[in-house]
Amino acid sequence: MIRGLWDREMVALLLLAALMPMALVWIWFGGAGAVGRLGLALIVSGAWHLIFMLARAQPPSFAGAITALAVAMLAPEDMGLVRIVLGISFGAVFGELVFGGWGRNVLNPATVTLAFLGFGFPTFAWPDFVLPVAWAAIPAAGLGVLFGVMPFGILAGAALVGGGTALLAGGPDWVVPAAAMVLVLLVADPVASASTALGRWLNGALYAALVLLFASGWEGASPVQLCVAAALLASLAAPLLDDIAIALWTLQRRRRHGGS
Amino acid sequence: MAAPGSFWRTLTAPLLRENPVTLQILGICSALAVTTSLATALTMAASLTVVLTLAAGLISLIRRHIPDTIRLILQIVIIASLVIVIDQILQAYFFEISRALSVFVGLITTNCLVLGRTETFARHNPPVPSMVDAFGNGLGYSLVLIFIGCVREVFGKGELMGRQVLPLAEQGGWFTPLSLMLLAPSGFFLLGGLVWALRTLMPEQAEAPDFAPPEHREAAE
Repeated sequence: MIRGLWDREMVALLLLAALMPMALVWIWFGGAGAVGRLGLALIVSGAWHLIFMLARAQPPSFAGAITALAVAMLAPEDMGLVRIVLGISFGAVFGELVFGGWGRNVLNPATVTLAFLGFGFPTFAWPDFVLPVAWAAIPAAGLGVLFGVMPFGILAGAALVGGGTALLAGGPDWVVPAAAMVLVLLVADPVASASTALGRWLNGALYAALVLLFASGWEGASPVQLCVAAALLASLAAPLLDDIAIALWTLQRRRRHGGS
Repeated sequence: MAAPGSFWRTLTAPLLRENPVTLQILGICSALAVTTSLATALTMAASLTVVLTLAAGLISLIRRHIPDTIRLILQIVIIASLVIVIDQILQAYFFEISRALSVFVGLITTNCLVLGRTETFARHNPPVPSMVDAFGNGLGYSLVLIFIGCVREVFGKGELMGRQVLPLAEQGGWFTPLSLMLLAPSGFFLLGGLVWALRTLMPEQAEAPDFAPPEHREAAE
């Protein structure tokens, strides 16, 4: 699929469009501060894409804007210019660009940035969100699935585990808004998540299970912080989940068709 | 005997051109573990260099008498004895640092760098070139450890050798410690960045790519 409509930038643009409901509501409620954070993140991320284009002839990508949006929304507040720039540089370079650009990365660069900032500067407060921003995650996820750029299995797997626990045991509801936003912004990423059908369901379920585990056992963590940690671990496990899915498929074929 | 020029080459080759840590990725477990401060990194580097040089000399002396079938056991016995001596000396004279290093001095025994040099070089060469080669490799290892130790201590605590070099924000300065630098992952990041920088500067160190890209490149325009 090289000559058709669906090249990498098309996916990036549609993903960006799908995230727009959430981004616009967030900017509406955040005001000038939100615009400033987004602008800074866009400049730093764009600058690194430009540097890698000039130095290694890697085509820049609109995916940099997705990274910038996720970091601007989820990063700890009042960190100061130097730390934010350091964090985004680390995430963009070591999370994505050294691997050859968007599409070849192992982890979502925004997840790497947020984990770096969270572990590197643990004293800064993670952001809180007004509820409308979290509600906007639902249309964002819907658009993403409709466009075919967000994996349905991940969203469904996470909803299944999260919703099931809530129904059966009345899980921690204070974590749900942050969990939904992180799910849409970081976990349901077409590159760094699992890519087999079963693997995607497992990936989403694992993310939700980790969020529930952290929410019940991690004293003093803010919702965004524990969701980012869950996203990082879930995306580290994604290749393993794919491998399990493929192994199961091979096993099934062998039982059906015989052979060694 | 070899010419003096070749000694110089044997000694300096492992510093940058064939650095055991950045080119062969040997001995990185300790390089990551003990580099949270410069003092421990220096102690570890000195201990390893001494052990490596002496072990190479000893093994090279008896190289014609080592039976092939038990050569690894023999080498490890020699290295372990030297490590125990070094460990006792550290405990006697540098107790604080020896406690900070904890098991990692003892683990020099299993450091792949030491066994790698004795196995590949000292077993086939006379004592003096072996010791020169071992000393050079020890220096190359030390260079990497000192670099990473400096960076991690300065950015993680704002100190160097325990003395404050960057004014801390909580004492009225401007510097907020990057506590990630004191955690193990930052050792990986720094070492990875160092390897990347070295291989960019010296492209002949870079490994051959695992996969060849396809001929017709039209994707992702």
